[in-house]
Amino acid sequence: MILVIFVIFGISIIMIFPAISEAQSEQKTFVTHSGAVVTTSGEVLDPLYTVSSVEFDPDEYLRNFEYGRLSVSETGQTIRDYTIIAEDDKIQEISPGIFYNVWTFNGTVPGPTIRATEGDLVRVHFINNGSKEHTIHFHGIHPAGMDGVFEPVGGNGGQFIYEFEAGPVGVHPYHCHVMPLEEHIVHGLYGVFIVDPKEKRSPADEMVMVLNGLDTDFDTENNFYAVNTIPFYYQHHPIQINTNELIRVYVVNMVEFDPINNLHLHGNLYKYYPTGTDLVPSFYTDMITLSQTERGIMEFEYEYPGKYLFHAHKVEFSEKGWVGIFLVKDNPDKNSQKVEYGT
Amino acid sequence: MELSDNSSKIKIIVSGLIPFAFVIIMMAYIFGPGADLLDLGIPLPEITIEKVDFHDSEIRATVRNTGPIPVEISMADVNDRIQPAAVEPDRFLERFESALVRIPFEWNEAEPYIIGITIGDGTRFEKEIEAAAPALEPTIDLAIFFAIIGTYVGIIPIMIGLLWLPFIKKISKQKFHFFLALTAGLLFFLAIDSIEEAVDVSNESLAGSFNGILLIATVIVLSFLGLLYSGNKLVSRANSSKLAKPVAIALMISIGIGLHNFGEGLAIGASVGLGSVAFSTFLIVGFALHNTTEGIAIAAPMSRGKLMIRKLAAMGMIAGAPAIFGAWLGGFVYSPFTSIIFLSIGAGAIFQVIIVILKWIRDEGDSTLSSASVASGFAIGMLVMYLTSILI
Repeated sequence: MILVIFVIFGISIIMIFPAISEAQSEQKTFVTHSGAVVTTSGEVLDPLYTVSSVEFDPDEYLRNFEYGRLSVSETGQTIRDYTIIAEDDKIQEISPGIFYNVWTFNGTVPGPTIRATEGDLVRVHFINNGSKEHTIHFHGIHPAGMDGVFEPVGGNGGQFIYEFEAGPVGVHPYHCHVMPLEEHIVHGLYGVFIVDPKEKRSPADEMVMVLNGLDTDFDTENNFYAVNTIPFYYQHHPIQINTNELIRVYVVNMVEFDPINNLHLHGNLYKYYPTGTDLVPSFYTDMITLSQTERGIMEFEYEYPGKYLFHAHKVEFSEKGWVGIFLVKDNPDKNSQKVEYGT
Repeated sequence: MELSDNSSKIKIIVSGLIPFAFVIIMMAYIFGPGADLLDLGIPLPEITIEKVDFHDSEIRATVRNTGPIPVEISMADVNDRIQPAAVEPDRFLERFESALVRIPFEWNEAEPYIIGITIGDGTRFEKEIEAAAPALEPTIDLAIFFAIIGTYVGIIPIMIGLLWLPFIKKISKQKFHFFLALTAGLLFFLAIDSIEEAVDVSNESLAGSFNGILLIATVIVLSFLGLLYSGNKLVSRANSSKLAKPVAIALMISIGIGLHNFGEGLAIGASVGLGSVAFSTFLIVGFALHNTTEGIAIAAPMSRGKLMIRKLAAMGMIAGAPAIFGAWLGGFVYSPFTSIIFLSIGAGAIFQVIIVILKWIRDEGDSTLSSASVASGFAIGMLVMYLTSILI
C-alpha cells in the first residue's frame, strides 16, 4: 500500500515539475514595448522583434497599383484588362509562428490594388481556382449582372468576366460575395479598387492601407488586427517618407466583427476625403472613424523629420497589431519621390 | 506419464495464448498501419495553463501540452493584448511536456487578469486570475506562518476534540455505538467533501486529457483497497501483540483524517498563495471549528482501550500535523494534479476507515447496523459536519 502511495506521489511529482531539458547556456535578451529588458535562456515570443518567414510583403503591397493591360476600343474608350485568380487553400504565416488558412485573390491578402481612370472600361477576368464558389463584388456603379452576387463562379477553374465602366471617382473595396459572406471576407477575399478622376489629383507619394483583422481561432473575434494584414509589420519596418512631400493614403476598413475601426496620425493632421468621391476635403483632422468597408483618402505632409506613429485609437486594435510608424526623412529636394499616374 | 503431463501443460499454455494472439491480430487490424477504421477526425491541439505566478514586473505562466499532438507556443497576451514574452526552455511542446512563459508586465496587485497563450494554428487558450498577488517566496517567516496556521487548523482542534474521551469512556455500549456511528458519519461527510474539492480543482485547472473524474475514482479505489489490505494486517497483528485493536483502528482513523487535513492545508496554502485573503481566513476559521469533530472520531474507538495519553497525543499529531505540510506545499509549490491526488487518497482512506468502524460495531453485537443509536449517530455525524461546513 505504502508502495502504491509512493508510486502515485512519485508520478505526481514528475507531473508537477516541468521536464528538465538539456541545459541551454545561451542567453537571449529582448526589450519589451515598455522598455523592460528581459534575459532568457529560452525563446523569445514577440511579433515585433522575431523574424518571421511571412510570405506576403506589406512593403511591396503598400505602393503597388495594378493598372491592367491597356487597349483602346473603336470608340476611343480606354480598356483595362485585369486577371484575378481566387484560391482558398493557402496556409500562411501571418505573425511569427502563427499559421492561418488565408483565402486569396492573386495569392495575397488583400488582393491586388486595381486602378483605373473614371470612364475607362474595366474588364476583370476572374478565375476561381478555389474549392468553393467565389465571386468579386465591386463597390461602385455597374450593371446588375456585374455585381458578383447572383453569379457564383464554381471552384476548380470556374471563370467569369466582370465588365463595367470605372466610376465613380474614389477608393472602393472589392470582395467575394458568396454566402456565408462573413467567412469569405474574414478569410481574406478582398482588395482595393481605385478610380482616379480624369483631371488627375496632384502628384504625391501614394500608398494603400487596408485595415483588416484575422480571426485565427474562428470564434468570431479577431485575434489580430493589422494595416495590410501582418500585425505590427510597419512598426517593425517603418514606412519611409520625405519631409515636405505630399503623402496620399487610400484607406479602406475591412475589419469584420467589430463595429468600428479608426486611424490616428501622430504629430500631424490630414485632409480627409470620405470615399474619395469629392475632390474637396471634408475634414482636417488626425482621427477618423470607419465602419465596415468605409474608406477614404488622406493627404498630409510632414514638416519635421523623425518617427511618427499611426495606429487605431481603438487601442485594443493597436495592441493586437494595428500600429505602424512613418519614418520621415529630411529631404530638401521637394517632390522627389512622387509616383506618376498610370497611363 | 511424464510425456502426457508435459503435453497437457503445453495444451494449457497454448489454449491460454490462442485468444491472446487473436487479441493482438484484432488490435493490429484496428490500429495498425494502413488501418483506417478509426480515422474518425482531426486531432485538435490542446494546452492547459496550469499555473500563473506574479513576480516583480513579470507574469509567469506554466503551460502544458495536454492534447494528443505536439504544439508550438507562438504568442502570449495579457487581457487579450499581445505582449512580448520569453518561453523556457523552448516553444515546442511534445505531449504532456510543459514550458514556462515569462511575460514582462507591470501588473497591479489585487486586479484580475486573463492570461492568454496562442499556439501555432492560431488557437488561443486562456486562464483567468481573480486577483493578482505576488508569488510566495519560500521564506522562513512564511514557512513559520503556515506552520502556525496549520497548527491552529489541524492539531489544536483535534486535541480539543480528543477531550471528549473521558466522557465517551463513561457511557453505555449503546451510546458508545452512537458515537462510533457518529464518527462514521463525520468521516463519510469528509470523504464526500474531499471528492467534491478534488472535482472542483479538476474542473478548474486540470486538462481534459487527464480524465479528472476517472483519476479521482481510480486513486480513491487504489488507496481504499491498499489501506483495507494493510489495515487488516495491522489489526490482525494487533490481536497477537500489545497494540490493542482500538488503538489500531484509531491509528487508521488518524491516518485517514491526516490525509484529509493535508488536503485542507493545501487549500489554505493555495488560497493564501493566490492572494484571496478573505477566503483563506474563512477557510482557517471553518476548518478549525470543523476539525474539533475529528477529535471525537479518534477519541471514540480509543475510549474502549486503556487510557494512553501519549498514544492519543500521537494520534492527534498524525491527524493534525499534515495540515502544516499541506499549507507549505499548497503555498509554495501548488499543482492541481498533486492536490487532486492527495484529496483522492484522503477520500479512499476515509472510506476504508468507515468500513473498519462499521465492522467493529457489528463485531460488538449490532449485527444489522440498523439500531437507533447507529442510525441516529451516522445521521447526526453528517448533520454536524454539514452545519459546521456552512461556516467555510
